Amino acid sequence: MTLDSRPTRNRREFLTDAFCGFGSLAFASLLAQQQARASVTNPLAAKTPPKAARAKSVIFLFMAGGPSHMETFDPKPLLNKLHGQKRPASFGEAKYQFVQPNAKLLGTKRTFARYGQSGIEVSDLFPLTAACVDDLAVLRSCHGDMVVHSAAQYQLFTGRVVPGFPSMGSWAVYGLGTESDALPAYVVLPDPKGALEAGLPMYGNGFLPAVYQPTMFRPGARPVLNLELPPGVSAAGRRKTIDLVRSLNQAQMAPEDGELAARIGAYDLAFKMQTEAPRLFDLSNEPKETLALYGIGQQPTDDYGRRCLLARRLVEKGVRFACVVSGGGPGTLQWDAHDDIEENHLRMSGHTDRPVAALLQDLKRRGLLDTTLVVWGGEFGRSPESQGSKGRDHHNLGFTMWMAGGGIKGGRVVGATDEIGLRAVDKPYHFRDVHTTILNQLGLDQDLLTYLHQGRKERLTEVQGKVIQEII
Amino acid sequence: MNAAGLLFGYAWLGVLALPQVAVAAAAIPTVDFARDVRPILAKNCFSCHGADDKERKAGLRLDLADSAFADHAGTRAFVAGAPDRSDAYLRLITTDADDRMPPTDSKHNVSPQEIQVIKAWLAQGALWDGKSPTVAPAAVEAKAPLGSYSPKDRALWSFAPPAKVEVPQFAKPADQGWVRSPVDAYVLQRLHGAGLAPSPRADNVTLVRRLYFDLIGLPPTPAQIDAFTTDRTPDAYARLVERLLASPQYGERWGQHWLDLVRFAETDGFEYDTHRPDAYRFRDYVIKSFNDDKPYDRFVTEQMGGDELAGEHDDDLLVAAGFNRLGPLRKNAGNQAVTSSRNEVLTEMTNVVGAAFLGVTIGCARCHDHKFDPIKQADYYRIQAFFAATQDRDVPRYTPDEQVLWKQKVALVQDEIRPLRAALRRASDDERPKLEQKIMDAEDRLPAPLPALYSVSHDVEKKSPVHVLVRGQYQQPGPRVGMRPLGVLLPDGAAELPDDTRQPRTTLAKWIVDPKNPLTARVMANRIWLYHFGRGLVATPNDFGNNGMRPSHPELLDWLAGAFVERGWSIKEMHRIILNSATYQQSSLAADAVGRAKDPENVLLWHMNRHRLDAEQLRDTLLSVAGTLNLKAGGPSVMVPIDKELIDALYKPLQWQITRDASEHQRRSIYLIAKRNLPLPFMQVFDAPDMQASCPRREATTHAPQALELLNGALSNTQAEALARRLRTQTGSNVRAQVALAYRLVTGRPPTAKERALALRFLQRQPLREFAVAMFNLNAFVYVN
Repeated sequence: MTLDSRPTRNRREFLTDAFCGFGSLAFASLLAQQQARASVTNPLAAKTPPKAARAKSVIFLFMAGGPSHMETFDPKPLLNKLHGQKRPASFGEAKYQFVQPNAKLLGTKRTFARYGQSGIEVSDLFPLTAACVDDLAVLRSCHGDMVVHSAAQYQLFTGRVVPGFPSMGSWAVYGLGTESDALPAYVVLPDPKGALEAGLPMYGNGFLPAVYQPTMFRPGARPVLNLELPPGVSAAGRRKTIDLVRSLNQAQMAPEDGELAARIGAYDLAFKMQTEAPRLFDLSNEPKETLALYGIGQQPTDDYGRRCLLARRLVEKGVRFACVVSGGGPGTLQWDAHDDIEENHLRMSGHTDRPVAALLQDLKRRGLLDTTLVVWGGEFGRSPESQGSKGRDHHNLGFTMWMAGGGIKGGRVVGATDEIGLRAVDKPYHFRDVHTTILNQLGLDQDLLTYLHQGRKERLTEVQGKVIQEII
Repeated sequence: MNAAGLLFGYAWLGVLALPQVAVAAAAIPTVDFARDVRPILAKNCFSCHGADDKERKAGLRLDLADSAFADHAGTRAFVAGAPDRSDAYLRLITTDADDRMPPTDSKHNVSPQEIQVIKAWLAQGALWDGKSPTVAPAAVEAKAPLGSYSPKDRALWSFAPPAKVEVPQFAKPADQGWVRSPVDAYVLQRLHGAGLAPSPRADNVTLVRRLYFDLIGLPPTPAQIDAFTTDRTPDAYARLVERLLASPQYGERWGQHWLDLVRFAETDGFEYDTHRPDAYRFRDYVIKSFNDDKPYDRFVTEQMGGDELAGEHDDDLLVAAGFNRLGPLRKNAGNQAVTSSRNEVLTEMTNVVGAAFLGVTIGCARCHDHKFDPIKQADYYRIQAFFAATQDRDVPRYTPDEQVLWKQKVALVQDEIRPLRAALRRASDDERPKLEQKIMDAEDRLPAPLPALYSVSHDVEKKSPVHVLVRGQYQQPGPRVGMRPLGVLLPDGAAELPDDTRQPRTTLAKWIVDPKNPLTARVMANRIWLYHFGRGLVATPNDFGNNGMRPSHPELLDWLAGAFVERGWSIKEMHRIILNSATYQQSSLAADAVGRAKDPENVLLWHMNRHRLDAEQLRDTLLSVAGTLNLKAGGPSVMVPIDKELIDALYKPLQWQITRDASEHQRRSIYLIAKRNLPLPFMQVFDAPDMQASCPRREATTHAPQALELLNGALSNTQAEALARRLRTQTGSNVRAQVALAYRLVTGRPPTAKERALALRFLQRQPLREFAVAMFNLNAFVYVN
């Protein structure tokens, strides 16, 4: 139903009610809300995807720096047998960032056990996540094109190895709009320990309009820029200022002016965000049991636990895409274990295992896992060869990611690397296949979700990706 | 014959307009060797061309890349990127029963679908288990064929020379009265054809505000508004246009358009995002060029080949050539892939020429022939060949004394670094990272580099060989190419330029700005129109190809392009032509219901388009209205204070060194640093481009974070304080006068009675600074009518 098909009310009245009436919106019928969303003047209006959607939201657990597949989800007994030897020529070549051609293979000290009904092997770094393994589809044959952080991170997020292209979060919002009235549609929760190599352009909207840009939740008490009132200004006083803005704007507005009406609407949404978002950050109304589940209030899980819990609260409110980053700052504070794979991965898994498992369980018991696609992984894996005596270099030819929820069939393993974890040999899946699958679960089609830029209909997958059929 | 002579020996092609044929390009799925190809070979070929020594025929193995791609008595089974030279493929499709493979008497049969898979695999570069096969040197040294283009290829509208169409004449006095210039005549003709009428002329306050924002990006002061609205002379408007064109602020507004287009930034991007401390000189060069009304043909030539034309002291020319290195640049630690990096650099140099000057998406032909436009992949690399010897060059600009002092400071830090480096050489891999970190920390303490011109040079010694790259991948060089401008605009068989052409980039520039080039003048005339009206006559300003939009007013576009060249490529002349037209001076109110129904997008220009202030205009105007704007021009870029959290979000937070002199923080936005990995949030939220790719047109989105920025952001709140102070200072405690002045400053007009009443009621209880915040959030502030 279009706005113009309601002859009893003019467009201005309608828009005023739907967008501007901060109070009235709360009482408005669901129908009115949907019509307001469908308005052409609001690019973030929720859109019906072209295909049947299995997921409404995505949570990407980004393990920045590149977690090792051989220490986590891809056991390689032969690697341990060949420890200290050169890689047999039969496995072929690999290009690394630092490791030299004469490097020796490095066995793993981790032990693997079978978990759940599915009996999938997971290492002792993730005992709690392992307990959820029947919900996970473990992709052991992922691969990408770049072996350095920045370019690989761009490819993981945007499908391209250079900056300037929209991230998967921006594409998702471009395709679907948002279900949330008072929260940003696409949120990144970075690791407070610092930035990543690819920097902000990795998460960005690229050439898509600014309305699809991510909202970065910053560490500390003020996660969202400009959400706090300036010093010395009260909420009641500011409400009067916003009311004045509206009155003055409406005094000059032609009744049929949708563009200006949308701008007035943005102010009411802004005010709503200002009041509702702080409630979202306040975890004190969560039950103690939930906080404990995520490891909040205890180390080393407090920080990642908080951000995982926030991610759940975001998708609960209809946020489309949330990215929870583990790792930031210098490489040693990421999963970038050049020096010492043991020390690094024990520490990083210590931060994340409990929160990740809690997120999966919490989503599941709330019935949200059915509609929330959870994706875990980094921009690459790590080398079977050692860097130094106990570190591992970057490695893009074969590594593991996993997906859960959002219509993904859990309890299965897809693909395989060779016997030393060097190369994805069985059912190799590229980042573009991961992207295609994410879009597919959201009801989007990589070929239809395009944006004309510099004469080319650009899409997330650059060239055609495949839906990973084994897991849907 | 010298290079230029040869070049101008190229005939320009006058092309007949043929009906356009939509080009449908079916996407070919990527073929994977292990999944798709090897099974076909294993089933049908390996029994005779596999591991079994006894059964092997012709010494050929198709299970090993070394053999399959090798030269066997002059033929090769597989040639990457060339099915038509791959003997194995040719023998699959031959009709000659004696040659056909698998042999007709064998039990094997390769289906037509399987043959297509093999063909596609070869065409896509024949990756073998993810690796590129070794390409025989002979194939790489061969020259790519010059290629040919059919009349249909050449029939694209934008390739035809601009048409000379009679300027329409009108019989009715009312029409004759409205039409001020040929621009209006072409517009009115289309309006009449659609049964539409132009809108009335905008009022004088609207016009003066429109002109100020359009030409200098700043609002008029109340005195400047009054000067215009009380000027009763008939040429008051034209003189205002002249005054603004002569303003030094003009270049600061129009220079920004150009900087968008050439994706100007002052840092490398990627992980290090290294600063380019001298890149600001290019920004200043652009501003000065606009202020000087540098002829556009000269402007293009200087940017492409300034270094080739410059003596050692022609700083402007050397700086202009910095254009060639404005793109993002990837640097990494570790095992560098030098060829890959060089290829990325060349790609940046090449693509921007197509986007910025020619309005042709030549970048699409990097990996394959262009899918929509007649640009062969080899011709893409022929343009790249003009840049093959282009190398970065920082031209020093400091005195010997300064150099001595600088060297002393550097030596101090290097004394620290030297032992660390020595230790690094002896270090075990375990100790390495810590030492590397220490070295990086010390390097951060090196003094800022001495002033230098950020330029390029033509360095024959370091010339990169240019090959057609199979699927655009640097690992897969195909045949060699030499320099030649865009092939489809040349006659078939036009030769490449000699490899030793002395000023290759200047030569290409001369071809670009040759008045016979059908694209250059059209593309720039269209851009100027777009920046004035918010929409181009061609709505896709960087794409004049098959996939772009057709011009809404082709005759007008051609007339403008012709006038541009005739008037010496003067951009200011184009402003005069456009701004003095009746079309430009129309009201933007779009009051006509017929117009709204028939042409809601205003393609036919029945009214002026309203313009949302862009990011720079908005920030500059906040400062201007509050009376705090610092109009200092030029010089090194400013880093303003921003939230610590944002600085911490940099991979190298030390890069953000807030400019010490606080008065610099209030300079115009064009003088704030353009840092690729940290666009200022204020600019970003109001649709500033991301500085990674050419941006021909700003979006103007509307969303809640903009409201939060203008309501709660630091800039808007500090400037609201300043505006409140200004109102008090200039009007005392007279609240009515405060409201009146605020409206004049912020919207250019006095408040209506209703607005005044609302404002006065608000100010009974609320502070003036809150009123000032409200003013910054008005539609009447953010939009230009």
